[in-house]
Amino acid sequence: MNALPQVSAADIKGAAISIRHVGRSFASKTVLTDLKLEIEPGEFVAVVGQSGCGKSTLLRIIAGLDDAYTGKIVIESEGRDTASARIMYQEPRLLPWASVIDNVAMGLGPDITRQVALIRARKALDAVGLGDRGSEWPHVLSGGQKQRVALARALVSRPDVLVLDEPLGALDALTRIEMQQLLERVWLEEGFTALLVTHDVVEALTLADRVVLIEQGEIALDFKVPFPRPRKRSSVPFVTLEERLLAALLHTNHQPVDYVI
Amino acid sequence: MTDLAFDAIKPATGSNRTLWPTSLRFGLPNQKLLPWLLPITILTLWQLASSVGALPASILPSPTSVFFAAQRLILSGELQGHIATSFSRAATGLLIGGSIAFTLGLSNGLSRLSERLLDTTLQMIRNIPNLALIPLVILWFGIDETSKLFLVSLGVFFPIYINTFHGIRTVDSQLVEMARSYGFHGFQLFLRVIFPGALPSILVGLRYALGIMWLTLIVAESIAAQSGLGYMAMSAREFMQTDVVVLAILIYALLGKAADSTVRAIERWSLSWHPAYRKGGLQ
Repeated sequence: MNALPQVSAADIKGAAISIRHVGRSFASKTVLTDLKLEIEPGEFVAVVGQSGCGKSTLLRIIAGLDDAYTGKIVIESEGRDTASARIMYQEPRLLPWASVIDNVAMGLGPDITRQVALIRARKALDAVGLGDRGSEWPHVLSGGQKQRVALARALVSRPDVLVLDEPLGALDALTRIEMQQLLERVWLEEGFTALLVTHDVVEALTLADRVVLIEQGEIALDFKVPFPRPRKRSSVPFVTLEERLLAALLHTNHQPVDYVI
Repeated sequence: MTDLAFDAIKPATGSNRTLWPTSLRFGLPNQKLLPWLLPITILTLWQLASSVGALPASILPSPTSVFFAAQRLILSGELQGHIATSFSRAATGLLIGGSIAFTLGLSNGLSRLSERLLDTTLQMIRNIPNLALIPLVILWFGIDETSKLFLVSLGVFFPIYINTFHGIRTVDSQLVEMARSYGFHGFQLFLRVIFPGALPSILVGLRYALGIMWLTLIVAESIAAQSGLGYMAMSAREFMQTDVVVLAILIYALLGKAADSTVRAIERWSLSWHPAYRKGGLQ
């Protein structure tokens, strides 16, 4: 586990994301107001916040699924003409009528020959540990396996930015931990910029370099997670930070509790 | 250890799809024969009733006389001729009506403008029983081919139109969004996501359409035709040839079954990804 490759500056190929004064309203409800955030290339940022705080809206805007916003978003990647963002949803969203490998190949878009697509899709499937399941229908896979296929599909085009909209929310606890390890591994290998929306404070602190708390459409908290990888969830500094973040989320403002037995 | 537990509750003779214990399934060696058990029993009873004279031939001829009628008509080439005529009318009508319905279903399913423009009109026409148009159709087209094609086309139109429209509208919007985010749009989006998503519904429409196709054709041929199975049955009635009438009815049943089996085969082939359509799955 401690043999994970360290990221060096030369490896970084993720894009920088600059979110400048972004706002978004739905009918009468303002979800995001004048949001400003600078994300460095290759950074892993977790976005936390209560339901309805606008974090998923922000994610959809960055992924290019929503263009009815005000302000500006710039995604830049050095050495590339165009930076590409890919999104991973809470649901796997696999096409039930396409085989697993064809689903992964979809991630390369419509303008690629099938032969090349299949070779690259096979590599991406290998990377998520499902190399031998390519010819099967998606419905035979378990929930965790389906999300791994969705991850392979998101990564097969080697995007500069991967946007994750609570992709592990529906998985059971054990599968979740496995997926978190997988995500961390591919992020370290590929060096893309990752933006993860999550409800799970532990997940945010396990994976992210930096945690951003959004409240009522604005950034309420923005801090770096100082622990080395792979992180130990039960270490005292980790748990302390976890409780402080949870308190900030829930507005309880409690200091770390002194346990008395 | 779970394997052991499963083995214990499996019936000894392979298939575990039936709840019946092995002893009760004795004498039914082949599951494929099971659907034919009832028709064969009825046929046997019918033959017995005719042979002992309980069933007069003027009411219902015996199966053997129906068989001899079939033999006679096949030898004279008459039966093949009528079946071929009816079959080509049915196929042409299905092709014309089905392709117009499919096109309009696609167009109204994909475009709100098209739906607003056409759907109300189509729904009004749908509620007219198409056989009620027979007098008008005879006045328009006489009793030649056009009148039958018109009625069959109209009959198959609505099941295919409605199910295509419904299938397209109920394609999972999350999948469409996903495909768009990967750069699929226009024809590629249709081919990869929308059409396969709508296909189960379209095939249900086709199955309904095939039933209506035979119904409409036989009625139309009975009233206004000079060839075809419906004509054969009607002219036999005039000469009191009950064996030929019954033969025609049996042929309708077989043709209906053949049409249904064809669509089922198409379903099994094109929807093999769907858990409910795989062989041995839910039916």
